[in-house]
Order: sequence, then C-alpha cells, then structure tokens
Amino acid sequence: MDAILPLITFLPLAGSLVIAFLPRDSTRAIWTVGVGTALATWAVSLFLLVSFDPAAAGFSYEVDIPWIPFFGIDFHLGVDGMSVALVVLTTTLTWISLLASIGPIQTRIKEFTIAFLVLEVGMTGVFLALDLFLFYVFWEVVLVPMYLIIGIWGGANRLYATIKFVLFTLVGSLLMLVAILATAFAYQAATGSWAGAFDYEALRGFAAGGGFEAGFQVLAFIAFFLAFAIKVPMWPFHTWLPDAHTEAPTAGSVILAGVLLKLGGYGFIRFSLPLYPDASVDLAPIVIGLSLIAIIYGAIVALRQTDLKRLVAYSSVSHMGFVTLGIFVSVLIPVGALGREQGMQGAILQMVNHGLITGALFLLVGVIYERTHDRAIARMGGLSAPVPVYAAVFGFFVLASAGLPGLSGFVGEFLVLTGSFAYQPLVAAIATLCMILAAGYLLWMFQRVVFGELSDFLRGLGHRLTDMAPVEVVTLVPLAALVVVFGIFPGLLLDLVSITVEEVLAAVGPAIGLAAGP
Amino acid sequence: MNIDDLVTISPLIACVLTACGVLVADLIAPGRTRVAIAIAFGGLVVVAAAVVLVADGGDVSAFGGAYTVDGITTFLDAVFIATIGLTIAFAPDYLVPRDLPMPEFTTILLFALTGAMLIAGSTDLLLLFLALELMVLPGYMLAGFAKRDALATEGAIKYFLLGSFSSAIFLFGLAFTWGLSGTTRVTGVTDALTTFAAGGGISIGLAMGLAFLTTGVAFKIAAVPFHYWTPDAYQGSPTPVTGYLSVGPKVGAFALIIRLFAEALAPLAADWLPVFIGLAIVTMTLGNLVALTQDNVKRMLAYSSIAHTGYMLVGLAAYASGEMAGLEGLLLYSLVYAFMNLGAFAVVAALQRRRGVTASLSTFAGLGRREPWLGLLMTLFLLSLTGIPPTAGFFAKAYIILAAVESADPWVNLLAVIAVVNAAAAAFYYLRVVRQMYMEEPAAEQTALSHGRLLWAGLAITSVFTAFFFIFTGPVFDSIQRAAQALAIT
Repeated sequence: MDAILPLITFLPLAGSLVIAFLPRDSTRAIWTVGVGTALATWAVSLFLLVSFDPAAAGFSYEVDIPWIPFFGIDFHLGVDGMSVALVVLTTTLTWISLLASIGPIQTRIKEFTIAFLVLEVGMTGVFLALDLFLFYVFWEVVLVPMYLIIGIWGGANRLYATIKFVLFTLVGSLLMLVAILATAFAYQAATGSWAGAFDYEALRGFAAGGGFEAGFQVLAFIAFFLAFAIKVPMWPFHTWLPDAHTEAPTAGSVILAGVLLKLGGYGFIRFSLPLYPDASVDLAPIVIGLSLIAIIYGAIVALRQTDLKRLVAYSSVSHMGFVTLGIFVSVLIPVGALGREQGMQGAILQMVNHGLITGALFLLVGVIYERTHDRAIARMGGLSAPVPVYAAVFGFFVLASAGLPGLSGFVGEFLVLTGSFAYQPLVAAIATLCMILAAGYLLWMFQRVVFGELSDFLRGLGHRLTDMAPVEVVTLVPLAALVVVFGIFPGLLLDLVSITVEEVLAAVGPAIGLAAGP
Repeated sequence: MNIDDLVTISPLIACVLTACGVLVADLIAPGRTRVAIAIAFGGLVVVAAAVVLVADGGDVSAFGGAYTVDGITTFLDAVFIATIGLTIAFAPDYLVPRDLPMPEFTTILLFALTGAMLIAGSTDLLLLFLALELMVLPGYMLAGFAKRDALATEGAIKYFLLGSFSSAIFLFGLAFTWGLSGTTRVTGVTDALTTFAAGGGISIGLAMGLAFLTTGVAFKIAAVPFHYWTPDAYQGSPTPVTGYLSVGPKVGAFALIIRLFAEALAPLAADWLPVFIGLAIVTMTLGNLVALTQDNVKRMLAYSSIAHTGYMLVGLAAYASGEMAGLEGLLLYSLVYAFMNLGAFAVVAALQRRRGVTASLSTFAGLGRREPWLGLLMTLFLLSLTGIPPTAGFFAKAYIILAAVESADPWVNLLAVIAVVNAAAAAFYYLRVVRQMYMEEPAAEQTALSHGRLLWAGLAITSVFTAFFFIFTGPVFDSIQRAAQALAIT
C-alpha cells in the first residue's frame, strides 16, 4: 500500500519502456501493451479510490524520499480527496483515449503510445506531487508529449497550433518556476534551513503562520496565476486553446480538455490559495471578473463557431470559467457563511464533470470525423436517421454539457452558482446567463447536426456513414455511466473532496475572519 | 622553482607532453588517425589522474603564488578535459571524410587544453594573459582548419582579428590595474583595491582599466554587443571545431572572469556589477532574438550559445551581488552546457559525415524516421538546451535562477524573470529542429549513414549525463559547492 502512488505514476513509464523495445511493425503488440498498461494503471487508481478514506485529514499514502538533500528537495507524493478524484479521472480518460486511437492513428503507432504513456506519467505526477520542485518537473513533463501528439498526429495546421501551445504554457510555467524558487528561498531565509523549503506541507504551515510578507505574496501569486490561468485557460490567455484543440488528434483533444485544463484549477486550489492566502483574497475580485468574462465570452464565441471541435473548445473556456469563479468566490465569502464551501466544492466537481463530458464530446466529434473527414457544422444534418445510436449518445452528452439537472454537469455549476450568489447576487446572475447561452449554442448545434433532412454531403458518403462501432461504444459507456451516477449521487464526489475544501479554506480563513469581524 | 612546484603543475606538463607525443608520432608515421586518438586519450587519462592526485593534496600554490590549485581549478580542469575528450571523440566522423588531418587537430586541441587549464589555476595577471593567449591561439588555427574552404577562412580571419584586438584591449586593462595596484599577483591586487575601495570611489585610471578589462572578456565570452565574430566563425568552422569553440574557449573565458573579476577585482564588485547586469540582459535577449530567425542549425546554435553566455552572466551577477549560489550555478552551468552543447554539435557533425551535407534545417527533415537514435538524442540535447525537466539543462537553469532570486539586489532578481522569458522564447527555435525531425518530410529520400564507434561512445556519455543527471544531482551539487568554497564570500 505504501508504494501505490509511485506505482500509479511510474507504471505507464514502465509500459512505455516495454513498447520502446517492441518491433515497429508489430502494431498489435504495441496497442496491446499500451492499452493494457493504461488499464492496469486505471485498476491501481481504482484500488486507491476504494481504499482511500475520505474522512482522513491531510494527505494519505505519503512517500517521501530525499532527492536533492542540500536544497531539501524530496520525492514527495501524497493524496487527498481532490487528487484522488483527479487521478482517477486522468487514468480513466487515458485508457479511453488510447482505445479510441486504435482506429484513427495509423502512423508511428509506437511513438504515439510511448508519448501517451509518458503524458500520463506527467499528469498523475502533477496531481500527486507534494514537493514544489517535483511538481514543476511533472508539470513540464506533460508539455513535451503533448507537443509531439499535436505536432505529429494533428490536423493540417498542427505546426502552428502546437508551437503556440508550447510557448504559451512555457512562459507561464517558467515564471512559476521563478516563484517556486523565490518561495523556497523566502522560507529558507526565514528559517535558516533549506530543509522543507520545497515541501508543500512545510510551506503551507509556514504560510498559515503568516510567513510570507504581503508584497512577496502578490508577486508570487501573480506568477503562479499566470501559469495556471494559461492552463485553465482563462480569458485573455485562452487563445492557444481553440487552435490546439482543433488541430490535435481526438485522443489529444480528450486529454487536453479532460485533464490538462484541470491542472490549472488544481494548481489554484492546491498551491495559490494556501501558500499565498492574503494575495488570494486581495486579488480574488480580479480573478472573479476574468472568470465572468471567460464564461460569457466563451459562450458567445461558441455560438458563432462553424467547426464542431472549435465549438466544444470555446465551450470549455466558458465551462472552465465556472471552476475559477467557484474557487475565488469561496475565498471571499465570510467564514461560516453559507456558500463558502459550496463554491469550491462546485469548482472541483465541475473539473471532474467537465473532464468527463467534454472528453466524451471530443470523442464523439472524433467518431463523426473518422467517417466524414470533416467537422464543419454546415455540412452536417439529419444524422439521426442513418446513425441513431450515435445521435442518441451525442444528444445525451450535449444535454449533460448544457447542465441538464439529473446529469453531472448540473451539480457543479449549481454549487458554483450557490457560492456566487452568497458572494454577490449579481455575479450569480451573470454566470447564470451562461447556462442559457450554453443551452443555446449546444442545442442549436445539435439541431443542425442531428435533426432535419440528411445533408447532401452526408448522403454522398453513402454506406461509409456507419453507426458507432463496438469499440467506440466501449469508450463512451463508462463516461456516460459516470455522468449519470454523479448526476444522481453527487454526494459520492462531494464526500471525497469536502475535507480538501475545508482544509484549503481554513488556510485562507483567518484573513477573512478578521475582515468579516465586528 | 622546486620539485613541489613541478608536482603542482604536473597536469599541465602531462598535457604538453601528450600534445608533443601526438606531434612526434605524426612525424614518424604521418596521418595515422587511430594512433593520434589513442595517444590523446591515453594522455588525457594521465592528465585527469594528475589533476585528481594534485587536488587530493588540498589547496596548494606554486611559483610564489602565481599558480594555485583550489576547488575551482580542479572543477574547471575536469570540465576542460571532458570537453577536449568529447571533441576528439566526435571529430573523426567529420574530419576524415574531408581529408582533414586528425593528428594535427588533436595536437592543437591539447595545446588549447593546456591554456585553458592554466587559466583555471592562474593567480597572477600576467600568467592569466599568457594562459588566455595559449588557449585562444589554437582556436584561431582550428577555425581555419578547413583551409581550402572560403567560409572557414573568412570566419577564421574575423575571429583572429577581433580576438587579437580584444586581447590587446584586455592587456591594456591589465596594465592599468597593475599600474595602480603595483602588483600582478591576484591577492596583492585584491588587497590594493580593497584599500582603494575603502578610500572612497575609484580613480579615473582604475575605471578605464576596468572598462578595458570588461570589454576584453566580453569579446572572449561573446557577450552582446561584442559578439559579431561568433556567427561567422561558428558557421564557417568545421562542425566539431564549432562545437569546441562554443564550449571550450567560452568556459575558459569564464574561468578567466572568475579569477579576474570574482577574485582580483572583487573589491570593486559594486562598480562592475551594473555593467555585467546590462551585458547579461542584452546578451540573453539579443542572442535569442537573432537565433529565432536562423535557418542554419550551426548558426542557430551559435546565436543560442550567445544566449547561454547571458544565462551564465546571470550567475556571475548573482555572485557579485553576494550570493554564493551564483558562482555555484555558473560552475554547474559550465559543466552541463559543455555536455549538452557538444552532444548537439556531435549530432550535426554525424549528419555531415557525407561530404556536401550542409547544416541547414532541411538536413534534419525526417531524421526521426531515418535515424531514430540520432533524432532521439538530438531531441534530448535540444530539450536540455531549452531547460525542460528532467534534463540536465533544467537543473543548471534552475540553479542560476535560484541564485538570482536569492540576491538582495532587485536588478539581479529582475534578471531571473528576464532569463526565464528568454528560455521560453528559446523553445521556439530549438523545437523548430524537433519539428523538422519528426513532423516534416525530407525533400529527397536519403539513406541512413553509418557512424563511427567513437562517436557513439561520446554520444552515449553526453546523453546519459544529460538524461539521467537528475539521479546524480546530490553528489554533483556537493562537488560544486565544495569547489565554489575556494571563493567563499566572507
């Protein structure tokens, strides 16, 4: 049990090493090992989920091995409820994406599976790392495979999209590196020792004691904010996202939307708030403003999109705006008031649900793209007649994304709105507008694609327009099931993350308590 | 002079003897590549052993304090020996098909190594200058090594003219320093300057000396705006020479800076620090900006090496502002840079084994499919040069940035931010090569080349170092910190 976290992180690495030694043309073996490794990792993460005690305070299953002793840098992993949820989301989407790639990816299969498994190492590592230096290493490990996945297996304009993705991410993350090093040094300067200078728990304790002075907090917060805001992505740092999503292969889009965007939200909750509580409170109104802009802007731009993938991409900007909104309204609601915890709980639920739903939507766009080699909404139409199963599944996820009550997408947004209302009814009102817009662009798109007469373009495809293959159904069923389960029993997720939320909010609590005091 | 002095400089003696050995062997049996390489590597092992043995005896001075062996000497000697060894390993694949004589190449390199090692241990201004010349003169010869190539000759002449010009400027600066301090010994200069600094401000003469010295070393490390010789010299030279020139003389010149500025001129740090901060900013930024537009990989790496000079200057600035980590970072960066940059140049040289192959970007098109190993290794070196974890280049950059954020000087703090923004911009042109290798198709179908065993051995060493550095961070950081103790800030 002690080694379960390193196992989750490095099992994919072992799989990729095995694949590296397989002959290039035995594609069957490569896919088997690739998907098999991802499934095994998934199984281990499910075991973690089952054995994890949601009531445990702090972190569980910690592994702490000295790495660079002089600077107190450790190989330190650990989980709390939020990271368990996100790790399981990651491992789930990874095997689904790999399975969904078997058809579409026909060139350089070996490199593809290796890149994908290395990507999984980075993603799980980010969610598990409890050492800031280690966190940064994993954060950057994610970058290179994604660069290759978009750049090698992507669409026509992939080279532009992939370098844009890298440059945006790198600018943010390198500034975060400066902030991480500065934070560690501030700790070292105050305590006189490097021991624990990069350790998350030590730093958090130090921050709780008011260790970081206000001016420093603001600078460090901004550096972290840039890195996370670019990942989320928040307006106005979102421009890489539509390009990257549109050009990435289906599996790349799924992971990008399903997991990589969550790295930003995770970073805010895990690092920005507890480490720089005063700056978080002071700057929260600005972040809330940007979130509202992202929510509305993303939705309006999505209305205008003519490409299915671009539409889903902009809907991500809008939906992810709820995540940052939820996180930062929680910070501003007085301690003990209703809505303080709900906002952040909603943000985490929204992260998981957005991962499931948007991941599924990208898979579905991929399914139709495989048959038509086109994503233009204008050329679609009347899909319900030739491919009824596809139309039904598509409709299900469109409704989930629009926030239909009873499905999981609703729960997260509702909780975020509860929090927003407690903070400022006007904020909630603006955010609610998005739900109307979302219903607008999603249902309008669905209507144009699925209902009506079969378009001439699709008719021209003849019997090449087949309904979903069994393997495609297999990739979507788990996601659909989870969307229903979390929609009806959101408590399953809420129980998992409530301790995390309490602890994070307690860390930013004192400043608020004073502000709200008599 | 006594026997102890000779023991102290035994690495230098061994190095000269090795160079002479290669020369003599070439006289007896001309043109034997294998013999030259065997003697050279045998000699390098002896030199390395001598360095270790001398270092084992603790810090010693020889020749009345003109030559000193301390932690920094030993560390830099190790970097130099590795640089020369790797250069020799990478050279035959390029030189032999072009009928360029390997024994002469090896001899010249070994003399350059003697000069570089002498710089690392010089604690006398005159000796420093002699050592500097001993290091750079072979560089001029190497730049023009392909003597029938017009580009090489042009590059070599530019390098030689600007190099000797800067040497003269540097010497002029030394003269001022000597004239005002009355001694050429580093310790004596430090004492004299301490009195000056305490006496309130520096005189005009000293300021001029400082300006000349700064200009001279800025030429040698190719800091902007004294870098104009670099791209031509780098592009024109035979590729293994370019690799060497981008590492050996650069690290050598930083050794000079450490001995001269960090040690002798330390009392005036407050006066030269702002200049170096400015140099660091323009060097990083301009090097990167110009590298963005290059279509020739050698020229791109030349400009990027200018940017790396800028990162190293950040370390120096941090040290000058009172942070030991700055010097440690500078030493670490030198070591890591030597391995990753030589590795990258080795891949370019390997591709040029077939005569007539240029180093243009299109040479790399489809390399990932044509020669998967070379493609993979090149990707590794480029990621390391960018500073992506967990490669060695990341740790080197992180160390420098850590030093810069530790500094109490807000301008040095700002350097950290400028450095990382530059590192992000650098990703663009490094990844352009990766893009060529994996995402573009070659214009004409090419066959894979066979490469020498020595080249593969060298690539194995550089790539293992670059890829698995994260395992050895503990011991490496320890040795760097111990080495830097020689110039501890009191």
